[in-house]
Amino acid sequence: MIVVQAPYRVHGVEEVAPGLFVLSFDRNGLEFETGQYLSLGIPGHRKEREYSIYSSESDTHLAVLIKVVPEGAMSSKLVELKQGDLLHVSGPYGYFLLKPSLDAGVPLLWIATGSGVSPFHSFASTYPVSEYHLFHGTRTLNERVLVRNFPPKSVVSCVSGESGGDFHGRVTTYLSTWELDRSTHVFLCGNCDMIYDAFDLLQAKGVPAAQILTEVYY
Amino acid sequence: MKYFIMNLGCQMNQADSERIQSVLETMGLVKTEMEAEASVLGVVACSVRQKAIDKVHSKIHEWNERKQGQNLLTFLSGCILPADEDAFLRKFDVVFPIKDLSRVPELLRGSGIVTPLSQAPQPDATGMEHFWNVKPQYSSTFEAFVPIQNGCDKFCTFCAVPYTRGREVSRPSQAILEEVRNLVDRGYKSITLLGQNVNSYGLDKPGVERSFTELLQEIGEYGKTSGRKFWVYFTSPHPRDMGRDVLETVARYEVLAKHIHLPLQSGDDKVLIRMNRNHSMDRYRTIVHEVRELLPDATLITDIIVGFTGETEEQFENTRLAMREFGYQMAFVAPYSPRPGAASARWSDDVPLPTKKERLRVLTEELHLSSLAYNQRLVGSKLRVLVERSDRKEGYLAARTEGKIPIRFASTDLTLVGQFAEVLVESVRPLSMEGQLL
Repeated sequence: MIVVQAPYRVHGVEEVAPGLFVLSFDRNGLEFETGQYLSLGIPGHRKEREYSIYSSESDTHLAVLIKVVPEGAMSSKLVELKQGDLLHVSGPYGYFLLKPSLDAGVPLLWIATGSGVSPFHSFASTYPVSEYHLFHGTRTLNERVLVRNFPPKSVVSCVSGESGGDFHGRVTTYLSTWELDRSTHVFLCGNCDMIYDAFDLLQAKGVPAAQILTEVYY
Repeated sequence: MKYFIMNLGCQMNQADSERIQSVLETMGLVKTEMEAEASVLGVVACSVRQKAIDKVHSKIHEWNERKQGQNLLTFLSGCILPADEDAFLRKFDVVFPIKDLSRVPELLRGSGIVTPLSQAPQPDATGMEHFWNVKPQYSSTFEAFVPIQNGCDKFCTFCAVPYTRGREVSRPSQAILEEVRNLVDRGYKSITLLGQNVNSYGLDKPGVERSFTELLQEIGEYGKTSGRKFWVYFTSPHPRDMGRDVLETVARYEVLAKHIHLPLQSGDDKVLIRMNRNHSMDRYRTIVHEVRELLPDATLITDIIVGFTGETEEQFENTRLAMREFGYQMAFVAPYSPRPGAASARWSDDVPLPTKKERLRVLTEELHLSSLAYNQRLVGSKLRVLVERSDRKEGYLAARTEGKIPIRFASTDLTLVGQFAEVLVESVRPLSMEGQLL
């Protein structure tokens, strides 16, 4: 594992949906496996926070998806950065890795809530021809923009707070109706409540715990 | 000028203290165990535990009162959250993370400490490289802790180590091997390789540095060629990085102690997810099976947190069942308390204290059962033990087996302290044994 702690320059900050931003910055030769995360800090500030990598393994720059948490220590400061500002970046870290499952040639199911779609964006852009299903849960229709880059045939957009998505309700409610091959490798990313509920449903459907990879956002 | 250091942390912080002592002594300062006669007062603490923080505040308050009538200098080091540094700096004269050990002479001089040796040469390295190079003042003549790795990349949600000590950095293996050989040659009998994530050693320098298994092999080979008797332990490992090759290596060499520390933290898959442990119970179970297969006589010890955020009765029951299944010889069970800086500190600490205490009691009972069952199988056997000190029971010496089970035997021969001895196990209790010196 390569660990880099050096100043990185910000390329840009794009608001992709209300309160959701893509922050892109120098890659500086940092190698990572899709699904890993970075720890980001701002020079002069004491705190750091971890963010899944949103960009692909082959992109020339790095990007993360940031949900602004009003009372949070870092997110609101990160999205205020301007082009050319400096970032502290260390990593990559984590074991939410797609490659072993791809190599195994098993069916893939990816389930995310909100900004938890970030590592799946990196999965899909690193391996654009891979076959998968993505269930993405949001409260509002606005947030569906987060799956705009995925092939529509692979995505089920579950919107719980408004009607108009592919499915009206929670992502776990949709999962409960889904017929699943027991050899499927399932990737869960998002809030812990969704992950717990999905974990129970998957166990009930006969998917072994070893085939369920999780990345809890908090 | 005399200095006094108070250690409020773990074995890693003890290793920190031993190196801080060396640096202070190169400045001409002399160690004292009498706090009242010291002019330089330091705390090496773990700021990720609230109890330790409370003690630090209490101690610095006392020292600052003494400052009214005396010329004192105070410092703080160890595991310090960056966010806490500013607050501590208002109370201590000097605060430094351990990676800044090389700057200590400069920091103390800047605070007015002038000694005949204070113009010592500048260190030839900085950061952790300097820390590793400092020859420690070992606090024991037969037991030593050798740091091999610093920091952690695992980001368990209950832990703040990645923020207090930074990310995983492996010490050069040549320096580790040199320190181990030196200790062995000086007659040390128990050497513990230390790291926050000890078995991920070398992963930060792939292809450049030895792997953890290769490091153990080198130590094992030295054990063979030196002809000396000693035990080498390692702590604390992460199940995710505990490969079969590590256990096979421990099995192959006599000097690698048959004692495996394998933190469980929880026996429930969903709690493990919330803790971000990145392994399942199935994975943990596989490792325990490998331990039993490859190291049938090894003791197995663990760490468990009870009452972690959101832990239900059912989830706790899974932990109790896991304890029964794995039959630990020792377990460090702690009621969950949020650690400032850790991710879980942002969540509600929603398991009531009486429930945590009850869960602790239940697991302690389980531990006593499994420990007693293991110890009973040892009655009548002859064991090599390392004698540590006089026992609290008059006329007895206290020792530990290779598996770190405490054992005492009748003897007043203090020349045995720090030596191996043969003991016949005569009676046992949960967590301890009594025997006869052979």
